[in-house]
Amino acid sequence: MSDVAVEAPARPRRKVLTGRAKAERKLGWTLCAPAAIVMLLVTAYPIAYAIYLSLLRADLRFPDDRTWVGLTNYITVLSSKLWWLDVGHTALITVVSVALELVLGMLLALVMHRAIFGRGLIRTSALIPYGIVTVVAAFAWRFAWSSAEGGFVPKLLGFDFDPTATTEGFWNYVVVILTEVWKTTPFMALLLLAGLTLVPEELHEAAKVDGASAWQRFWRITVPLMKPAILVALLFRTLDAFRIFDSVFIISNGNNPNVESVSVLGYNELLNRLNLGVGSAISVLIFLCVAFIAFLFVKGFGTSLSQQRGD
Amino acid sequence: MNRRYFGWGTANLVVIIAAMFPVFWILMLSLKDPTTLNDGRLVPSKWSWENYKGIFDESVFTDALRNSIGIALIATLIAVVLASMAAYAIARLDFPGKTLILTAALAIAMFPPISVVGPLYNMWRNLGLFDTWPGLIIPYMTFTLPLAIYTLSAFFREIPWELEQAAAVDGATPYQAFTKVIAPLAAPGVFTTAILVFIFAWNDFVFAVSLTSTPAAQTVPAAISQFPGASQFQQPTGSIAAASMIVTVPIVIMVLLFQRRIVAGLTAGAVKG
Amino acid sequence: MRRGSGIAALLSLAALIAAGCGGGGSESGRATLNLWVFNEPSGSFTDAAKRCSAASGGRYKIVYNKLSNNADQQRQSLVRRLAAKDDSIDIMGMDVIWTAEFAEAKWIKAWPERFARQLRAGTLKGPLATATYQGRIYAAPANTNTQLLWYRKDLVKNPASTWDGLIAQASRLPKAGRIEIQGAQYEGVVVWFNSLVQSAGGTIVANNKVTPGPAWSKAAQVMHQLATSKAADPSLSVIKEDQARLAFEQGNAAFELNYPFIYPSAKEGNPKIFKEIGWKPYPGVEEGKPGKAPIGGINWGVGAYTKHPNEAFEAAACLRNEPNQREAAAAGGLPPTLAKIYDDPKFKKDYPFADLIRESVDKGAVRPPTPAYADVSLAIAKTVSPPSSIKVNGFVGDLSGKLNDALDSKGLI
Repeated sequence: MSDVAVEAPARPRRKVLTGRAKAERKLGWTLCAPAAIVMLLVTAYPIAYAIYLSLLRADLRFPDDRTWVGLTNYITVLSSKLWWLDVGHTALITVVSVALELVLGMLLALVMHRAIFGRGLIRTSALIPYGIVTVVAAFAWRFAWSSAEGGFVPKLLGFDFDPTATTEGFWNYVVVILTEVWKTTPFMALLLLAGLTLVPEELHEAAKVDGASAWQRFWRITVPLMKPAILVALLFRTLDAFRIFDSVFIISNGNNPNVESVSVLGYNELLNRLNLGVGSAISVLIFLCVAFIAFLFVKGFGTSLSQQRGD
Repeated sequence: MNRRYFGWGTANLVVIIAAMFPVFWILMLSLKDPTTLNDGRLVPSKWSWENYKGIFDESVFTDALRNSIGIALIATLIAVVLASMAAYAIARLDFPGKTLILTAALAIAMFPPISVVGPLYNMWRNLGLFDTWPGLIIPYMTFTLPLAIYTLSAFFREIPWELEQAAAVDGATPYQAFTKVIAPLAAPGVFTTAILVFIFAWNDFVFAVSLTSTPAAQTVPAAISQFPGASQFQQPTGSIAAASMIVTVPIVIMVLLFQRRIVAGLTAGAVKG
Repeated sequence: MRRGSGIAALLSLAALIAAGCGGGGSESGRATLNLWVFNEPSGSFTDAAKRCSAASGGRYKIVYNKLSNNADQQRQSLVRRLAAKDDSIDIMGMDVIWTAEFAEAKWIKAWPERFARQLRAGTLKGPLATATYQGRIYAAPANTNTQLLWYRKDLVKNPASTWDGLIAQASRLPKAGRIEIQGAQYEGVVVWFNSLVQSAGGTIVANNKVTPGPAWSKAAQVMHQLATSKAADPSLSVIKEDQARLAFEQGNAAFELNYPFIYPSAKEGNPKIFKEIGWKPYPGVEEGKPGKAPIGGINWGVGAYTKHPNEAFEAAACLRNEPNQREAAAAGGLPPTLAKIYDDPKFKKDYPFADLIRESVDKGAVRPPTPAYADVSLAIAKTVSPPSSIKVNGFVGDLSGKLNDALDSKGLI
């Protein structure tokens, strides 16, 4: 026993596991195994398969013509104006909608947190956008804004053009972003609310006594203390926004190059043209973009995911 | 004091209107007589149930409903079972690889579905799972597992497990301890997780529109997006609105009944304890 | 363990469900043939299905499954299932431009000679060409369609027979001096471009190779000229078939290139103008060289994974036989592919230009027969629409580069 006390700092000793600890380990792995296997099989394997397909000429319309083409598909995608255009669209939609969601979400979170009455009602109505099928929400916004489909908004705003026509680039964005913001602000608000509740009331009381205004209190106390929660919320929402598919697909009817997002592009190549080679290259590139964004947030902005990891 | 009430009252009203307005619009649209669909008004000039009648004429919508309900329920069941086991292990047991699992789950939550859809389509068509229920249930289970595991482990960590030992001391068998003490404490968390998973599966569009194509397995979001019009030149606006209302009503009811749980679940997953 | 049996139960449940979602079965002896095509409003397809089922003497029954009205969605739905080896697609209604794609991808069966023989007899050359790929017949031509030059007899006595001539005539008119045509960025503009190229004696793709040439420049030039002349509709870049019809029907144009559906529509919609509607063949590009009109329509294909190929071939051939085509023509206004039906008195009464349709279709311009047609069409549409922005210099090089990429599956236009 005394040996351990002397040697421990210099050299890590192998833990001797008791029978019970070993049994606990085994049970832990066994219980996690099914979930882990499913997750691996349905995500890791397809991604590996996608990488493999992206290196072939794999077009289901030419089934006999499967040849190894190396990085040709990637060159096709990266040298295509359409790809970069779509990356631009996606980035624009992401940045604008996430920014709006952050501001509105924070406001909503404050209302939910400090409301004197009607908290239940607020929460319920805030959750409805969350629960609604995204496709339904997209149709609702599209029909409202489309003069060709009986929308009341163009009339209300005195437009003489159709904001959802494929030639109206700017207004297409507006409709897509509005849909996204409406649909996910509640979710953002809930994530922020969780962080809000962690800010100790006493700090606010003390600051009030010192004569700080609500504005000052918000920026000097609330926001700094909420930074981790804000970053986590931003990370998840940015990733979600970059992967946007449903609203863009429905509002653009699947074929409006003005607001095409990269996911819609991937879908068109893979499942309309059945060009699995190029489509897989797009999939892999999207995956890398998403990984990059995650990396940026975690390493760059110091988003702490330790709470999610249960440390 | 009154000013404060007034202020908060206004804020509440703004939130409620903003959240409910699009639903209200779809409701109005669905009640418009089909000949007035293009009149550009918010409230119908001519009220009619025609749209609702229309979508039940063909079996496309009822098939899609059946598919949605069945697939979402089965996916929820399996996901909750698998996640419960994993979450139990994570919350209660100590073993290496715990962090790995959680990190992997987190990574999967960030996956772009479109990256997986292509290979899945190819895999499914070779395995004969294209346009089938399992073909959708499997991806749904997988992509809801991270959310489920996080939510459940957060809940499970809150459970005072010592009660189990206390019950044993009082003479209960392990089975009794579990069913009478632990299960009731775990039930709310499991139930909440099930709701969140169900909403995910019910809402999904990417997988549904890529991995199905006939009423055999097409779910409601995919079916709605492909509604044909009544004739070549008539737009399906009315039918889409009616179908949308029908699938929205259960969600609204669910949210009304369980809003407390849903909020707890979403925030538990985000913050420890 | 509880867990193990639970999973086994779920897996078997899943397997049961998967098995239950199989394709069309057959009752004892009688094959069920699933027909997949859009919902034809006059019911002529429904009647044809019933008649052919009855005529089979109990050997098969045709079940009519309805697809979306949108051609792109029809293709999407079929293509994905065929690539997944779906055996519940026995007969499908194929747009004429899908033949090469479906044939090369082995999603449809080539017709054996004993069934193909009856398809050739009496069928117009144009539609038959749309159903052929690399010399073999892959589908049964059911009905066809084409565009004519419609004009206002009260405004123009003698329309020119070339594009240049028409543009000049229209520009000189004091009012309604417009030529309505489809210039939006979609399949319709590709139809226009293709007809122009072939009218000028060239082709876009032949034998799976891109065939650039002076015909392309001529076609680009004509489109650009029309788009920048006084004869162009200001919204040309967003006009499709229906908007063109509406503009002509409301009296805003003296000329229109469009499908025959505009005729019964004008009869109902604007009887005054209807009385003044005249028709001529699709204009040519050079004086003395007649133009080549577009060819559209539907062919019946047999799915490659069908469990009942012989019955399917027989049924498909029956669905487009003479009596069925007669009804489709008379009730549904779908121009037939069998030459002699054009003499049918009821059809001629409703469509007095029936002979002109027959001639146009017989010598019409088939769109590029390539498996990569979807990408080819997209590339062309993006290059020629909006027509006012066509850069005639360097057009040939630009388009041929894009089309070569498309043929190499580098189709990320």
